[in-house]
Amino acid sequence: MSTLRSRINPRSAESYESRFDYTALFEFSKVINSSLDLNFVLGHILLTIMGKILSSKGMVILRKTNCTFGIEMVKGFSSDLVGASLEIKHIPKSLFHLDKVDTKRHPWAKSLKHSGTKILLPLLTGEQLIGMLGFGERYSKKKLKSREETYLRSLANISATAIEKNRTICEVQQVNRKLDQKIQELNTLFDLGKEFGALLEPDKLVRLLVFSLLGQIGVSRYLICLKEGPDMKVVASRLDGPIPQGELLASLSKVTRPTLISDILVKHGTDSRDVLAGVGLRVIIPMEIQGKTKGLMVLGEKLSREKFSQADLEFLSSLANLAIISLENARLFKEAIEKQKLEDELMIAREIQKGLLPSVLPSIPRMNIAATNVSSKQVGGDYYDVIPTMGGKFIIAIGDVSGKGSPAALLMANLQATIRALVPFEFRLGDLTGRVNDLMCQNTGGIRFVTFFWGLVDPAALTLNYVNAGHNYPYLVHADGSVDRLEKGGMILGVIKTSEPYEEATIHLRPNDLLLLFTDGVSEAMNTESIEYGEERLEALLRAHTNTSAQEMIEEIHRDVQTFSKGAPQFDDLTMMALKVS
Amino acid sequence: MSDFKIEYRETENVNVLELKGYLDAHTAPKLEDALQSLLDKERYKIVVNCKHLSYISSAGLGVFMAFIEDVRNNAGDIKLTNMSPKVYNVFDLLGFPLLYEIFKDESEAINKFFEKKR
Repeated sequence: MSTLRSRINPRSAESYESRFDYTALFEFSKVINSSLDLNFVLGHILLTIMGKILSSKGMVILRKTNCTFGIEMVKGFSSDLVGASLEIKHIPKSLFHLDKVDTKRHPWAKSLKHSGTKILLPLLTGEQLIGMLGFGERYSKKKLKSREETYLRSLANISATAIEKNRTICEVQQVNRKLDQKIQELNTLFDLGKEFGALLEPDKLVRLLVFSLLGQIGVSRYLICLKEGPDMKVVASRLDGPIPQGELLASLSKVTRPTLISDILVKHGTDSRDVLAGVGLRVIIPMEIQGKTKGLMVLGEKLSREKFSQADLEFLSSLANLAIISLENARLFKEAIEKQKLEDELMIAREIQKGLLPSVLPSIPRMNIAATNVSSKQVGGDYYDVIPTMGGKFIIAIGDVSGKGSPAALLMANLQATIRALVPFEFRLGDLTGRVNDLMCQNTGGIRFVTFFWGLVDPAALTLNYVNAGHNYPYLVHADGSVDRLEKGGMILGVIKTSEPYEEATIHLRPNDLLLLFTDGVSEAMNTESIEYGEERLEALLRAHTNTSAQEMIEEIHRDVQTFSKGAPQFDDLTMMALKVS
Repeated sequence: MSDFKIEYRETENVNVLELKGYLDAHTAPKLEDALQSLLDKERYKIVVNCKHLSYISSAGLGVFMAFIEDVRNNAGDIKLTNMSPKVYNVFDLLGFPLLYEIFKDESEAINKFFEKKR
């Protein structure tokens, strides 16, 4: 301590000054290193040095890229200079006077000279030039002493280090903020992914999607539509005007990548661009599943009023695709439930139908009888019945209710109940048919109808009394291979109330006659080439088998139809009843 | 199940919603319902106290966005108060301080409504 004191003579003005300088240097370093506000730091640097050299003008020039420098801050100079960019290839590494710079070789010096800059002080961190401090003329107009220059160089070094540190911290902060924003985006996707997975109501899904858009991007104008067939249906919107409709929206479904509305005009004509921009929209984000556009998010300006960046568009695409998958899942789920419902219903229908068809046919003297019903996947409303009546006669009946599933099955049940209720009455078959029709009309409300054939077989007299209400004409095949069709009757049942009585006919049955009742499931059975089995084929088969029993004939026909249809799925029940006279 | 609750109180004609817990996509509909019911009753002076709000997601912020226009069109406002640094950070990241007045304290926000009147 004592040696130090003895070396620095307190009475010498120079050493007093230098002691002051060191203290000031220390203070200066403390101040500019304690703030993270670059503007404050730069301001303090300028003011300190301007005070030291007694100049009213100072500026900070910082390096932007390799050769490009920019004026970052001015004090005393015209504020227009801020932001000006300078192309500087080479400058001295220590303090220099601008007057001595050749403006022809260094064009950047020209504008600085023009603004009144006299002294330039390079800012170096090690060998790295990070910028310059520029100052106007000193009040005293005196040249800087070499001691002063040394001091300024110290200030510049401390400044350079502080500025560099400050900029690095700022960069880190910016990177951090960007990272935070990315994390926030991921959180949003995660948050929604979690929630979307649990939601099956499309309305709620859309609302959450909207909230996330509003929150994450801060848009206040939006239009969300989903594809429905060829159309786009608007499911949510907030716009500065009427909601765009119809063709305009449909035309947007061609958009396959995030597209700024200002770019869209080129491809799809100015019209849609202007309409969309007019209601405050800026960007279209398609909602895609496997490359197919299933919906659109059309969004307005961001809260920050910044343009949509590539990163924004990528985020929005992820959000859109996440949402559409969930919406699609919700739709498929709904469909699956409905399909299940339908299948349950068909199961019920099949049960009803099976329950109604006679499990065992009564035996009829002097005749053998057989019947079959093969229900299709969809369950048609086919019906057959054999009912013994008083006096040893038998009612045979076949019918085909229009439509499928349980409504058809229920109507069939209704028909059976009606027939069974009416059979004990000894009315003429034609009159009874009229009554059945009236009751059916009441029950169907005219939406459904039944083709129906029934007959009263008298095995003792070998007669058949019948009425055909619009049903496929049954065949009566004689032993010699000749064929009659049973056509007499009237209107199908269930359409309009009976006004004209149903015609009835009585035919005589001969030994070895075969009566075949069938539904269109037989004659209209399709093969894989969509060709119908047809009545010609059926008739030929019947003629070729005059010696078979009822049961054998039915099996023969069923086999032939199956061979013909080659396993093509059948959409109608296949129902037959055969009666063979011994 | 994330936990989220809203307590409602009325102070000098200003409607205060105090949010508690997690406000995310799952709980956002609750806030939506609460704000909607205020609007249905034509109550547009709204202060949302976030003192006990431990988390807010973008969907949660979106709910405020969904209502702010209607509220302001009716000479009202939604003012936010008492945010924890964590919650404020989310607001800040998404640029919401541009659009919403955020106060340190609930009473400041309430007073602001009356300042405007005078």
